[in-house]
Amino acid sequence: MKKFAAAALLALSLLSFAAAEDKVTIWGWRPQDADLWTKVQSAMQAQGTKVTIDYKTYLATEYDSKLFVSLQSGSGPDIFYTRRLPSASRTQALIDGKYIVPLNGKVNLKNFTDVTLSFISENGKTWGVPFANQVIGIFYNSDLFKKYNLKEPSTWPELLQVCETLKKNGVTPIFASNKDAWTLAMQNAMVSVSYPGEAWLGKLTKGQAKFTDPEYVEMLTALNDLKKYYQEGFSANSAAEQDVAFSMGQAGMVFGGIFQNSNWLKTNPDFKFGYFPVPSKTKAVTPKVYVYMDGSYGLYSGSKNQAAALKVLNFAATPAFGKIFSETTGEITAMKGVAMPASKPFLQECYQYANTQASAYRYWVGSPFDAGKPSVYDLLSENMQSMYLGVLTPVDFAKKIQDGVSTWYPAFKK
Amino acid sequence: MKKNAYLLMVVPAVLLYTVFVAYPFISSIFLSFFDWPGIGPKKYVGLANYKTILFGYMQPEFLRSITHNAIFFVWSWILSILPGLFFAFCLYAGLKGTNLFKVIFFFPNVISIVVVGFLFSLLLNPQWGLINALLKAVGLKAWAKPWLGEIKYAFPTIIGVTQWRGLGFYILVFLAAMIGVNKDEVEAARLDGASEFRIGWSIIVPHLLPTIMTLTILKFIWTFNIFDIVYAMEGSQGGPAGSTDVLGTLFYRIAFGGLGSSEVGMGLGAAVVTIIFAVVFPVSLLYVFIIDRRMEGKA
Repeated sequence: MKKFAAAALLALSLLSFAAAEDKVTIWGWRPQDADLWTKVQSAMQAQGTKVTIDYKTYLATEYDSKLFVSLQSGSGPDIFYTRRLPSASRTQALIDGKYIVPLNGKVNLKNFTDVTLSFISENGKTWGVPFANQVIGIFYNSDLFKKYNLKEPSTWPELLQVCETLKKNGVTPIFASNKDAWTLAMQNAMVSVSYPGEAWLGKLTKGQAKFTDPEYVEMLTALNDLKKYYQEGFSANSAAEQDVAFSMGQAGMVFGGIFQNSNWLKTNPDFKFGYFPVPSKTKAVTPKVYVYMDGSYGLYSGSKNQAAALKVLNFAATPAFGKIFSETTGEITAMKGVAMPASKPFLQECYQYANTQASAYRYWVGSPFDAGKPSVYDLLSENMQSMYLGVLTPVDFAKKIQDGVSTWYPAFKK
Repeated sequence: MKKNAYLLMVVPAVLLYTVFVAYPFISSIFLSFFDWPGIGPKKYVGLANYKTILFGYMQPEFLRSITHNAIFFVWSWILSILPGLFFAFCLYAGLKGTNLFKVIFFFPNVISIVVVGFLFSLLLNPQWGLINALLKAVGLKAWAKPWLGEIKYAFPTIIGVTQWRGLGFYILVFLAAMIGVNKDEVEAARLDGASEFRIGWSIIVPHLLPTIMTLTILKFIWTFNIFDIVYAMEGSQGGPAGSTDVLGTLFYRIAFGGLGSSEVGMGLGAAVVTIIFAVVFPVSLLYVFIIDRRMEGKA
């Protein structure tokens, strides 16, 4: 009897050990991913991989602090969401502190483009499995465009014409969210890839052009002049209010990101919208799209469950995961060659743009201009508000950015 | 043993104070001499963080923030001490419905400041907010403004909302102080034919001066620690265009980054906190000194 009890105890402890080994904990800042991980667990189990996934989510603004504390105390999750390089000094800190494991040779990353991987790679090492690419640009209300017989503009004058038509018909052409300064930085950045354009951005990146160049000042002036098409009181509206107003048909267009589509559809499930890249100044310049990798999954160096965690990460690097990701979250997977859900044509369109028209140069998130202090991101946020409020001219604005970045950006210091 | 038994009794309080006040405070001063993003090795940088804030690229933001704290203090003093005194006088005079007014005045104080900020953000929305709708309904369309989006309105609006919430506290404190005034003196003045204003100015106000001084110092300390209402109404950027940025939001942005900022530096943030402490500490000492003097006077 004693022998039987001992054997049973041993079997139980082995079983519990095996069960514990297959349980993978994941921490992230995206509450919308809860369903995703449940589906991933089911898909992996259907393939015969015995793994259970425990996903915990924290507020985006508190996530890093909580993660850092837990990693330092040795109680971190097996997998954690990481932000892109080089702008995310937090990810750099994880690398410097040896809390994150390079995935070269451990995870098959062949389904990602080099550009996508560049957002989370450094010195030949890749530190995460990218999960989403974000596409930003102009989104429009399809019903309103149809009602007023409007076409997607491809040049700035055509955009102004669309605005004029909507305004004449009593529709707010563009709903702006100036209270949230980050959305203005994003707006500025998405315009820059088409106007003045990718070629100029290339020169800027290499230090052969400056923010004070006439091309850039002209772009700022064009943006500033666009405010007459924004809603009344636009300076006090937030991004959340923009989501509601746009999806409820109160405006024709918004400068936004594909990541907002879940909010629009949550507010109005019948809302129909389309996307076009920010138009260029003239037809001579091809409009480009600002695409950036949103984040990736990193592996904790102190994980006691690395084998199981690597199984999850390897699955997250397959097209099967990409498909589940896009179907569940309504966002664009960071992977190439994944069929976007047929029920979401806007995703197919943005995915196509991301793979064919992405700008090779940029100065907002995921750019070399965001790797020092003060970053272009910080300089844009506040000064865009100032320009729209009329307390800063486009010329002074351009000078402020140039002066700020020149203090640290290597190509400007030469 | 018996002689020192009282020492044992203070141990729990000392422990709690050490863990939750003294340690975080000392460690944040210590941290201000390091460059540290929150994880990994700390790099000793001496006074570089202070130099960055006081003389480096952070200087304009720092000066702007501390100026806003000072403006906040002055205006919130004017908008809370003076109306607080006025309404306390009204209640002290025993007007009809005094108890109801006490409840009405104090009611906003029981609502969390973050909730107040959120509610007023909704009320002040330029398109569908109640305040602009009311202004338009009564023919004051020109007065309907994007309150939280314009540089000239945003900060006064936040100060106004904060004082709306806090006014009841000042009224109650002043009322309590007035109740402590010797009634015989007041009666004697009335018999001598003094007006209510004269009684208030010559008898009650002098009695209230220590209370005013105490509230002024407390207000200074609270004002230089302000964060929540600005964060709730304008976010960590202290917008529009930094017009509502205060030391609290500046610290938050630097230390924790988050949306809208790529700044992340615990050391730099700790230096801001230490500077806030350096501003508030002497005033706190003054407060303790005044309270001690008052206690001695009563003893």
